[in-house]
Amino acid sequence: MIAATSNSAPGPSRERILDRIRSATVSSKEVAQEALPHTHTCHGKLTAEGRLALLIERLREYDAEVIESTPENLVASIAAQLAGSGRHTFVAPEGLAADWLIPGFDWKVDHGLITAEIEQAEGAITAAFCGVADSGTIVLHHSPAEGRRVLTLLPDWHLCILRASQVVETLPEYFDRCAQPPALVTWISGPSATADIEMTRIKGVHGPRFLHVILVRDEI
Amino acid sequence: MSLEAMPHTAANHPVLDPLLAPPFPQAALPMLRNPQLRKNVGHAIDVIQAKRAKLVAEKTDWQDLRSAASAIRAQALENLGAYLEQFEARCTAAGGTVHWAADAAEARQIILDLLREENASEVIKIKTMTSAEIQLNPFLEAGGVKVFETDLAEIILQLGEDEPSHIVVPALHVNRSQVREIFARRMGLENLSDDPQALTAAARNYLRRKFLDVPTAISGANFLIAETGSVAVVESEGNGRMCLTLPKTMITLAGIEKVLPRFKDLEVMLQVLARSATGERMNPYTSLWTGVTPGDGPQRFHVVLLDNGRSSILAHKTERQTLKCIRCAACMNACPVYRQTGGHAYGSVYPGPIGAILTPQLMQMHHAQSLPYASSLCGACYEVCPVKINIPEVLLELRSQVVNQERHHIGRFFDPMYLGLRVANFLFQKAWRFHLAQRLGRIGLRLFTKKDGWIHSLPSIGGKWTQTRDLRALSSQTFHEWWAARRREAE
Repeated sequence: MIAATSNSAPGPSRERILDRIRSATVSSKEVAQEALPHTHTCHGKLTAEGRLALLIERLREYDAEVIESTPENLVASIAAQLAGSGRHTFVAPEGLAADWLIPGFDWKVDHGLITAEIEQAEGAITAAFCGVADSGTIVLHHSPAEGRRVLTLLPDWHLCILRASQVVETLPEYFDRCAQPPALVTWISGPSATADIEMTRIKGVHGPRFLHVILVRDEI
Repeated sequence: MSLEAMPHTAANHPVLDPLLAPPFPQAALPMLRNPQLRKNVGHAIDVIQAKRAKLVAEKTDWQDLRSAASAIRAQALENLGAYLEQFEARCTAAGGTVHWAADAAEARQIILDLLREENASEVIKIKTMTSAEIQLNPFLEAGGVKVFETDLAEIILQLGEDEPSHIVVPALHVNRSQVREIFARRMGLENLSDDPQALTAAARNYLRRKFLDVPTAISGANFLIAETGSVAVVESEGNGRMCLTLPKTMITLAGIEKVLPRFKDLEVMLQVLARSATGERMNPYTSLWTGVTPGDGPQRFHVVLLDNGRSSILAHKTERQTLKCIRCAACMNACPVYRQTGGHAYGSVYPGPIGAILTPQLMQMHHAQSLPYASSLCGACYEVCPVKINIPEVLLELRSQVVNQERHHIGRFFDPMYLGLRVANFLFQKAWRFHLAQRLGRIGLRLFTKKDGWIHSLPSIGGKWTQTRDLRALSSQTFHEWWAARRREAE
């Protein structure tokens, strides 16, 4: 009846529902987004330095570890983070820069790793698409250097490399950077957490418990 | 151990089916008499409210964001048919399959059929209130599919055989020692402590293997994007990401109203949602996916679009705004009635002010008619609503519909309220009848007036008033009598 390859499975209810909707709404012409109220803040007012300082502050509020680095020192910073983590087995996306795979650790590069292999890794290292200072958010579009979604999910420790030129102040500025809407997005604002028991914030339920961000000052 | 931590018996198990639930005033009584429950609810709400207030205050463009969010949602509803068709086309082109369900029964059957095609004996779930609305879990269990909730609060409720009392923090009526008792009993962990950290770790271990082994998952949707055919899910724990990433097949159940026109609309919605819901600038994880991505995540993806009464809400001008809701729960956190009763009294998976307007409408006004009255009309819900739903306005509209229903009901001739108003109608026609009634009433009410000058309890229809408030005794002299006496003295 419903094969995975079939394009759609419109039962008899499809027309019934759409008819009811159409008779309930006088389908006005499609309004462009510009016609809607648009007075909320779109562009931040901070300097580049202020923007980075805000991102660092907000990430730290979420208990994320933030380290600043220069492009020249990046490889050394990554090595220091890996060594400091006390972990040995790491997964890395296919498209990650080769010199970020620091020798001396056990690397599993994702050329189609199976879930069990990823689950056994102690950490993951990836690039990112964007950082949003206002909300302390790291945005992944899951490009080859950012990895499949599962890479940054199963290992308990995530090291994310973010360049200063990728940091925006506001969420609308992030959307302005998306020339085309991406097919996959994960917005990460601090490590996995819950407040389901007496509203007490507990870090680390199912996602990585540790989020480390290296902020590379590439344009300042 | 407190009594409330005991498993619910049939007698005190909360009923969240509007077809079966008792009227709100009746359902609220056991809650009002349960100090532990009220303390738990009050504490949770105080924490969320304080966090929300702080983060809303730091947003200088908060009112602009509300206006924008409201306009986006209104626009989506005005063109709902076109946007749904666009969503269907784009999602299908990206490898998803879109199903349409006119009511709860059809949605349940579609989902069970899909699971049977997958030969699924187990399914993992991300928290979805829509699935609770259609009572999906008991149906799947009866159909031979074991359901595992993965949100911490939902695990507490599922293992404790309890029901959600809030749409964002469904177990906020349960405290840590009650959670400890449930987990210790159901997970076989006798030495578990009641530290939230230890309880959370217990849930993590309990579910880890399920995430890795169960190949089929069910989710709800926070937003459907018409422009791209994408689905967005907002969460905190990472259980959502697990369900969205690890299984081979994903089934998403979404109300037809969840659609947003454009990807860029999220720039507004994501800013208002987390702040309103949990008092965070952004929730820890938000995921967006589009159909099927080769090599990444489930390779079979189904969306079930659910009507179940929504299209009939759309047809009414005042009530349509109900469908703008993005399920943030700010209204229930702000509501003085919800604060006292908790969520179970509403007899629906949607409690609080939004539930008071949504539930009776989803029931086509055939059930849950007491809910529009479960409000003091103070307007706190409207003030905090991030999409500007004028809940008091809708409450009043629904109240007038309830009264209209009663007006045309044959049983009204036996209704003391109806008879009382007919008598009043007769008395008010002539001044002498009115004055006579006043004099007789003064004598009659003397029987019920206590020494402190108040009437605390009245029989019959009058009891409806004194159930919740006291009544002043009638004055020994009316204004008319006083005025007449004063003039006589002057002469």
